[in-house]
Formats: sequence, structure tokens, C-alpha cells
Amino acid sequence: MEILYVLIPLGIVLVAIAGGILVWAVGSGQYDDLDAQQRRMPD
Amino acid sequence: MIDEQTATGAHGAPYAVYDRPELRDSVSSPAPGGQREVLLGVDGMHCAACVGRIERLLAGRASDVGTSLTSRTLQFRFDPQREPLSALLQSLDDAGFGPQVLAQDAGLRAQRDERRRMLARIGVAVICAMQVMMLAWPSYTSDAEVDAGIAQLLRWAQAVVATPGVLYAGWPFFRGAWLALRERAVNMDVTVAASVAIAYGASLLRTVIGEGEIYYDTATMFVMLLLIGRFVESRTRVQAGERLRRLAGRRRLTAQRESAQGIETVPLSAVAVGDTMLVAPGESVPVDGALLDAAAELDEALLTGESQAVVRRGGERLLAGSLNLGQQGLRMRAESVGAATRLAQITQLLQHAQGERPRFQLLADRLAGAFILTVLALALAGAALWWPDADKSLSVMLAVLVASCPCALSLAIPAATAAAASRLAALGVLTARPEALARLPQVDTVLFDKTGTLTRAELRIAQVETLAEPDEAECLAIAAALERGLAHPIARAFAKLPETRSASAQKQVPGRGVEGVVDGHRYSLGVPADAMTWTTDTAVDTVIELRDERRALARIRLATVVREDAADTIVALLNAGIEVELLTGDGEQAAAALARRLGIRKVHARQTPEQKLARLQALQQEGHVVLAVGDGINDAPFLAAADVSAAMPQGAALAQSRADLLLVGDSLAALMPARQIARQAQRRIRENVTWALAYNLGVLPLAMMGWLAPWMAALGMSLSSLLVVANALRLRVPRSPAAEPLNYLEAH
Repeated sequence: MEILYVLIPLGIVLVAIAGGILVWAVGSGQYDDLDAQQRRMPD
Repeated sequence: MIDEQTATGAHGAPYAVYDRPELRDSVSSPAPGGQREVLLGVDGMHCAACVGRIERLLAGRASDVGTSLTSRTLQFRFDPQREPLSALLQSLDDAGFGPQVLAQDAGLRAQRDERRRMLARIGVAVICAMQVMMLAWPSYTSDAEVDAGIAQLLRWAQAVVATPGVLYAGWPFFRGAWLALRERAVNMDVTVAASVAIAYGASLLRTVIGEGEIYYDTATMFVMLLLIGRFVESRTRVQAGERLRRLAGRRRLTAQRESAQGIETVPLSAVAVGDTMLVAPGESVPVDGALLDAAAELDEALLTGESQAVVRRGGERLLAGSLNLGQQGLRMRAESVGAATRLAQITQLLQHAQGERPRFQLLADRLAGAFILTVLALALAGAALWWPDADKSLSVMLAVLVASCPCALSLAIPAATAAAASRLAALGVLTARPEALARLPQVDTVLFDKTGTLTRAELRIAQVETLAEPDEAECLAIAAALERGLAHPIARAFAKLPETRSASAQKQVPGRGVEGVVDGHRYSLGVPADAMTWTTDTAVDTVIELRDERRALARIRLATVVREDAADTIVALLNAGIEVELLTGDGEQAAAALARRLGIRKVHARQTPEQKLARLQALQQEGHVVLAVGDGINDAPFLAAADVSAAMPQGAALAQSRADLLLVGDSLAALMPARQIARQAQRRIRENVTWALAYNLGVLPLAMMGWLAPWMAALGMSLSSLLVVANALRLRVPRSPAAEPLNYLEAH
């Protein structure tokens, strides 16, 4: 089970990346107005 | 853009700009005794305990302090001789309540940033809580089989993942708790921060030592659930606040001034009494003042609710906010500016009324503090009970803190009101302030405005009486051609007629009518030759006369339209035992005629906004729960002060921003079903609150006895929250098929 010593830190790195992307996406305003998106014309 | 810079409230901003004399009048208004009154938006004021802190902060420095948790606003009077406004704003900022001066529109950006930060925190909290739970799983299921080295690895992994979930996502709780403690006060944030800090701190210590129970899962899950609850709860408030701020942002900021150098555009705040102003066609009047032209036609619907054009003669007073309906610009002399205009006075009046609304707030204030102190005492008592055993006493303390957190309680009301709001939206009723649903079933008196509410805002051609050879169709076609393209309310009555003729040399004569050439003949349409001017009393039908060069051709009678559903709604309300009253700015004759037609017995005519408000408050003093329905700015103060208020969709934006319910379906008939849905919602809320309280009280002794591990308390809290949400969602399913036509069709 020694492989866990690699896999668990690797998992944490992946989670950190996912969390970072989420924070960036929220910060760039993609979630600002969810109600308006369904009414927008595709462009 | 300039406003955004001057109003960046939140962090260490120079508030001194608000002391400058040129901004003084748009920020505050004069009050008796040399004092000034100001209204602020306040971020970071989320609970009754915060309200108490603000009041203590301002005690002795400001008088008549009023707060509204509903719209997050704060109002007070201060003495500029003793302490400038900037000092008060600065100390509010220092205490963590970033004040926003409401005439500016920077609030919108601050709110958007706040929402983004909140969403990012929730996202991080969810990711971290899920990961920590996954990593904690082996210690619950197969503790004995896990190799010691792997177990320690899992501990450290949890510590790493839990850190952002506690420190970043949970930051608002720590900050709130610190700010409260610094003021020697307690709020909900204190218990939350204490339990999260204890769980995280103890776990970190034990991770370093390498043995003992760890509670990272409890800490992260707790933060996640609380953040979500707070977000759901704040969203509806934010939406209501946004409307108000957008409206403030849309206000006119510049005006056209005539001076020796010619016409210049100046900021509204620079307009001084005595300046000569120009108002272009279709534009709104910037300040109160006297008309310098011979005559002008104006739309004062925004201020008085009067939908008909109003004719003003030279020297008469024009009100800021009314629209120039004429074809040409008008000239006026400024007489009252800034906070002294009628529009600003009405706005101030309604903000005052709004601030006074929450009657239950004082009680909540006292209860919140007592509840929190009890919980902290119980947690310490639980710990003391098990003291010699440090492990056990820590776990009991955590379990008590977590179990006593009213998570389900905090979701019980927002979840049910959100579900009810989505049912109401299907009926054409938008719920701007969900708290109103609680009061809707108790309503025993309904106050209606007349114009625009019981009657429609537009005129209708009721009758055409021909006086010469051209027949009715011919006369109407000529009239329609003359009125085409004009913004006047009378012109709108003709807008629906087919376009068969066209007019040239159209000319609008204020207070008289229009003239123009159709098929080579000159016609005029307007005040009958035997009348001085047409009546603007909406009661009496408006009669206009079509003339050619020589004689009158036809008389056209224009009538106001009563809403089709008004009579039925009033009968239904009266049958349900609800009193109905009519309050209108119109004359007695008009009001009485309409009331007779609709079966309303109590009528108050010629009401000013102040009188409407006084009547409402008198009813409330007698213990009545009042629903107010209106549409104009003149209705806004009484809408704001009513227990429940509803606004019509075509009304003034300011009135709408003050209403609890917005009748977007443009129909009064939705009022009765809305009451029914609100009643169901109340039942769900009662069930939810009962359950949540029973759960919290039932689990507390178990936690104190040490029978409940912290993770069980956290899990129980989540399940309890889910149950409450599921119960609330039952509201979205209509109960009786007959009430919902669509379901009825599907069933057959």
C-alpha cells in the first residue's frame, strides 16, 4: 500500500487545482447572473 | 464613474468628501435644531445583534437612529457642528459595517463583489468538506486494519485539505465573531467561530502529536452548511436591495442650464436657486421651479399618480421628476434644489416609513443575545461535566456547540418562502420581500390606490358624436392622424386605430390640443370651443372636439378604463371578511363614482402622500394588518409602511422597489390565490420551525451526556436540514387540481 504515499498527495494537488479553477471562474464573473443566461441568444 | 470613486465605501476610504458643501444636500437633508438627517446602506449588518451594536456605536453621537434589517439601511440625525458626517462614517467602517451613501451607485459593484466572494467560499467549502470526509472514511470503518503510517498520512492529508475549508471559507464567521467581541457583544458568529476553531485547533494539535480523535470533518461540514444557509437567506434580500440601488443609479445627475455663455450641461448638484434651466421634449424636469414659458404640458404621474397630462401656465410651479410632454423644450427658473425638491421629500418620507417597519426586531434583538450566551454556557457546562477526561470533555463541548446550531431553523423559513415565491411567480406575483408572506394571511384591511391600480392608466375612446357630414370612421381617422407619434396620454388612446391618413404640420398647443393638415385641410383636435381648458380630473370623462377651418365636426369622449378584475377581487375580499378602503389623490366626485361601481364603502379623496401614510398608521395603531396596493411615487411611502404591499407593473419604479409583492401579471385577481399560498407557506414554516426546535432541544441533552460524537451532531444537523427543505418543497406541488387549470387538463 506504499503507493498511497504518492496517490494521496497527488489527489490533494488535483483538488487544489480544481478549487483554484473554481475560484478563478467565480472571480471572472461567470456565475454573476445565472438567470439571464437562459434568455440569451446563442452567439 | 466619478461617483464610483467618491463612494468606494468599504475599506479605509476618505469619507471627508461627504462633508463638502456641494455634496451635502444630496447626501443628507436638513432636520430641526440645526441637525441633518442621513440614510445609508450598511453591509455586514446581518442579525439583530449587529443592529444593537450599531445603535450602541452611535449612542450619544447621533439621534433618532433607525435601522432596517430588511433593506440593510441605517438612518440617523447628526449635528454637523459637533461631529462631521465623515467621522461617523469612519467609525461605522472601523466596526466592520462598510457604510454606503445611497445617492451613489457604487453599491452595486460592492454587492457583486460580495456575492462573488461568497460563491467562491461556498465552492471551496464544498470541495474541502467532501475531500476531508473521503479521507476520514477509513478511520470510521476500518480503524484497526489501517497501518499506523497510512493513518498518520491520512491525518496530515485531512489537515492540509481542511485548512482552506476552515480559514478561507470560514473567514466571515471569524471576522464577525472578532468584530462582535471587540464591541463586547455576542452574536451567532461567536458560537460558530468557537466550535470551528476548537475542532480545527484540537485536531491540528493531535495531528502533530500523532494520536487522538480528529474533527476536521466536523469543522469543514459545519462551515459548508452554514455558508449555504446564509447565502440562500441573503439572496432575496440582495435582490430587493439591488432594485433600490439601481433606481438610485438611474436618477438624473445632469441638467441643462442657460447662462450668459449659452447653454451648458452642469451636474445636478451645481444647480442653484435662481438658475434658468432648459428641459428638452420627453426629458424630466431636474429641480422644482417656476415655468418661464407661457404654458407647458407635463406628465406628473411619477409624483402624483395622475396619469393625465397636467397643464402648467407661466409662473406656475413645476416639480422635479415630471416629464415634458410638449413638442418643444421648456424654460424654467430653479426654486428648490437637491433635498428640498418634492421628489426628494417623498423619497425621504418613504425611507423613513420603511425604516420603522419591523415591529418584531426589538424582541429578536434581546432573544439572540440570550440564546447565544445560554449555548456557550451549556457547552462549557458539558465540558466541565467530563473534565478529568480531556478527550471526552472536548468532544462533548464540540457536540453541544454543533448540536445547538440552529441550521435547520435558519433554513426553515427561507426554504418555505422560496418555494412559495416560485408558486406565486407562476400566478404573476413576484415576491420582492419574502417576509411579507408571513403577514399576508393575517391581512384584514386592504387599501387601494385608484389611478393605475383599480383603473388602468390609459384612456379609451368611449363615444363619438358627429356634428357635421363626415361620419364616425372618417372623424376617427383624421383624429388618429393628428395625434400620431405624440407622447400625450390622449394621443395614446388613438394609437390603436389603423393608420389610414397621415397628417403634416402637426403642432401641439399646450393645454389646448393639436393642429395639423390632413388631405389638404387644416384640422384641430382638442378642448371644445365652449370650454376654457379640458378637465384633468380623471373622474369625469375627457371630451375633445375635432374642428376644421369653419366648424366642429365631432365630439369624442374618452373614458378611463376600470380593470376587468377589480370588481370581482373586491367582492372576493369583502366575502373573506376583509375591509376594503379607497385612498386617492383624485377629487371626491371621481372617487365616489368608482367606489360605488366597485362596491367599496370607505373612500378617502384628495389624499396627499402624508395623509395616505397617516391613514395607514392610524389603522395599524388600531391593530389592523394592512395590505396596500398602489402604483405611483405618491403611493411609495404608504406602500413602504404597510404590513404587506403590492405594486402594479406599470407604476413608478420607486413604488415598485418599495413593494413586497409585484403584480407582474397586471392583474388584481392574483391577490386572493396569493393569500391562499401564503397561508400554506405559513403552515410549512410552522411545521419546520417546530421540527427544528424539537431536534435542537432533543439533541442537546444527548450531546451533554456524551452520547453524541461531534460527527453525529453534524450529520444529524444535515439530515434535519434536508428534512426541512424537503417539507418546504412540498409547497411547489399545487394541492387542489381545480385551482390550477393546467393540472386539471392533464388529469382529464
